[in-house]
Amino acid sequence: MPAIEVRNLSKVFRVSEKEPGLGGAFKSLFRRKFRTVPAVSDVSFDIKEGELVGFLGANGAGKTTTLKMLSGLLHPTTGTASVLGFEPWKRKPAFQKQFSLVMGHRTQLWWEIPAQETFRLNQEIYEIPEADYKRNIDELVDLLELQDCLSIPVKKLSLGQRMKAELAAAILHRPKLLLLDEPTIGLDVVMQKKVRQFILEYNRRYKATVLLTSHNMDDVSELCPRILIIERGRLLYDGALRSVVERYAPFKLMRADFSGDVVTADLERIGKVLENRGPSATLEVPRHDVSAKAAELLSRFPVVDLTIEETPVQEVVRRLFIAGGKSGA
Amino acid sequence: MRKYLHVFSISLQNVLQRRASLLMDRVGGLAAFLAIYFFWSAVLGSKDAFLGYSRAQMLTYVLAMNLLRAFVFTGRGWELVNEISSGKISSYLLRPISYIGYTLSLDMAQKTVHLVSAVLEVAVLVYLVGAPVYVPQRAETWLLFAAATAASSLIFFLLEFMVSSLAFWTSQSGGPLFCFELFLQFAAGTFFPIDVLPAGLQAALRMTPFPYLVFFPINIFLERVSRGEAAKLLLIQGCWLAAIFLATRLVWARGLKSYAAEGG
Amino acid sequence: MTASLGKHFRVWRRMAWMSLGQQLSYGVGAAGFLLGKLIRLFFFFAYLVAIFKHTNSLAGYSLTDIAVFFLTFNLVDIVAQIFFRGIYSARRAVEDGDLDYYLIQPCSPLMRMAATMVDFLDIVTVLPVLGLLAATWHRLPAVGVWHAAAYVLLILNGLAIAFSIHVLVAGIAVRTQELENTIWIYRDLMFLGRFPIDIYAAPLRWTLVLLVPIGVMTSFPSQALLGTLSLGWACYAIALAAAALGASLWFWRRSIDQYTSVSS
Repeated sequence: MPAIEVRNLSKVFRVSEKEPGLGGAFKSLFRRKFRTVPAVSDVSFDIKEGELVGFLGANGAGKTTTLKMLSGLLHPTTGTASVLGFEPWKRKPAFQKQFSLVMGHRTQLWWEIPAQETFRLNQEIYEIPEADYKRNIDELVDLLELQDCLSIPVKKLSLGQRMKAELAAAILHRPKLLLLDEPTIGLDVVMQKKVRQFILEYNRRYKATVLLTSHNMDDVSELCPRILIIERGRLLYDGALRSVVERYAPFKLMRADFSGDVVTADLERIGKVLENRGPSATLEVPRHDVSAKAAELLSRFPVVDLTIEETPVQEVVRRLFIAGGKSGA
Repeated sequence: MRKYLHVFSISLQNVLQRRASLLMDRVGGLAAFLAIYFFWSAVLGSKDAFLGYSRAQMLTYVLAMNLLRAFVFTGRGWELVNEISSGKISSYLLRPISYIGYTLSLDMAQKTVHLVSAVLEVAVLVYLVGAPVYVPQRAETWLLFAAATAASSLIFFLLEFMVSSLAFWTSQSGGPLFCFELFLQFAAGTFFPIDVLPAGLQAALRMTPFPYLVFFPINIFLERVSRGEAAKLLLIQGCWLAAIFLATRLVWARGLKSYAAEGG
Repeated sequence: MTASLGKHFRVWRRMAWMSLGQQLSYGVGAAGFLLGKLIRLFFFFAYLVAIFKHTNSLAGYSLTDIAVFFLTFNLVDIVAQIFFRGIYSARRAVEDGDLDYYLIQPCSPLMRMAATMVDFLDIVTVLPVLGLLAATWHRLPAVGVWHAAAYVLLILNGLAIAFSIHVLVAGIAVRTQELENTIWIYRDLMFLGRFPIDIYAAPLRWTLVLLVPIGVMTSFPSQALLGTLSLGWACYAIALAAAALGASLWFWRRSIDQYTSVSS
């Protein structure tokens, strides 16, 4: 049995048009005007137990709405979903004890007091026996390097520390399924890496199923062999990450700062010049050639600073969208 | 001066625009007003006088209390506490306008609207229950009362400003302000005139500025003090106003300094 | 069922403990709030006692009777605050997404919302109320067992009505994500509960019994204790509480259903 089974799932929001002010608010209690906005349309997919799947799409494409339906926060308009064998929006405790939803820009931690207090609260909520709690917390502290963060009020933690504590709070009851909505948002590169390592480790150690959304291509490329791409509520692509990247993002972007002006024609020998403004330039370089081209650039030009970037997810999705293909690979 | 007038007029429009929250404020205040009015009405029962107040004087005390609560006890303390806690205050300090003056203009707009509403409430209640109203016999009483009320609303404004400024030192200064406002209601004689209290406590309260906020102005209106005494009370009130003004400036300046020292 | 109750109790206890930690982190500010609440309680009580130095009956009630009403009001009001205070921030819980976490976790979202702020300041304030109440009880003529039982029952009944009002407000907050002021209107209207409702003019009194049942919450228990409440009215009170509970919980479930099917 797959961990997640989604069939023809659709969600149409009825957005109420509120009149301003108290009168309007009162009126809206009884009679409301609605306009409908389709958020997710006819989406179907399966996710096997233990799979790590990335869920990509632009803002408002329907990622969060789908996650909310899978976690039982939203009723679908039509279609069915079975998550760990349950219908999520019935919100059965037996189901709720087996999964966790982490929202990168929200927190369940109590702000003014140390994170371990919230852990203790979750112990009661998820009815975790003391011995299991101790074992899980030790393991999480170790994996996430939380030693110094446990007894400090949450508001005094750095963003990265807070995210790690957030993950720990969500994983304390050892869920079989993790739904992660932008887990690395706002974190610096080092912290992003740690969070990713942790997710991977958790997935491997406990055969946990993970579905994550991200704007960050690195999250997806390091974690998820398989991706789903959603655009305007429709599933555009479901398949291996590798093939979509090779097809739609065959290049990486190299940004270089030079100590003086360089001639565009000279740079063209390294790669396609997208932009050359005085002492800094952006080039497009074939993915498989990146290290050789970088070495060449460094040896031939007075490079002060060099960064190599992935094509942004938005861009990949845009290209995929233009290609118009809904094809499994 | 013109810029403060401008702030006043803008914020007057603002208060009027947020009719909902104004209405809520008034409905809330109305509950206390009605409760206290009927309470005193019950205390009087069929008696003609109580504690030297005639029936009309006693009930007019409550009516006047509603007006004074609207005109005196509407400060901007909570806004100030929020602005200090959130650091928003810095943006005001950079502008070429005195913060106290700016806040006072805002407060005046608020007071104006509340006063109009309070007068209406009193009129409706008087009409509905046929409340006896004490009307001053001497013409100059109106003048003395107006002067006392103006001074008392300034005293309240400054006191609240001073207590709110404590937020410069404590991160959560809502506490002191909350405590101060509740204390003031009783010490000023808002719900109950202070002369019901035992002599000792009463004497102690009379030495503080608090009864000058509600109790003395209403006593001037009810002509329970002679002309000469009223003048004397006004003089003492004026002294309190001056003293509190200086104290508030001092606390404010100190607060700003410690604020700047911490880098906001 | 019992297992679930036990678990909810343990979750509540844990959240109460966390609330205490949170309040202690506010330090001086929390002390200010506590002091303010105590000042309000003692000053109000002192004024009532002082007034009875000048009269011996108020709408037919003695000082002891009036004290029973006032203290019972405080008991109901404060205990409701202890348990339901978290509802005050219902709108914030919806906006910040806390409600989403409550909904996906295996524990009652309504209880989670109410217990986010178990107010320990109020636990401290309820102690002097209980002390004064015990002293007052002592001065009552011998209280029959049935009257005492009816008193306790009607206090619990009053708490059930208070709970329903809070649930209704929480439902409104979830539904509209506005009307944050509704709970403050309730707080303000509660002022009317400090005195026996008999002192109010008939239309107001009926409003407080039938429409906004503050009188049922605060006055009925005392009336039962003093033996002035008829059995019929006691039954009405209990029927009202049952209906209010049922209706508010139904409204809450509807609001959650709507939240999970309409909102984005």
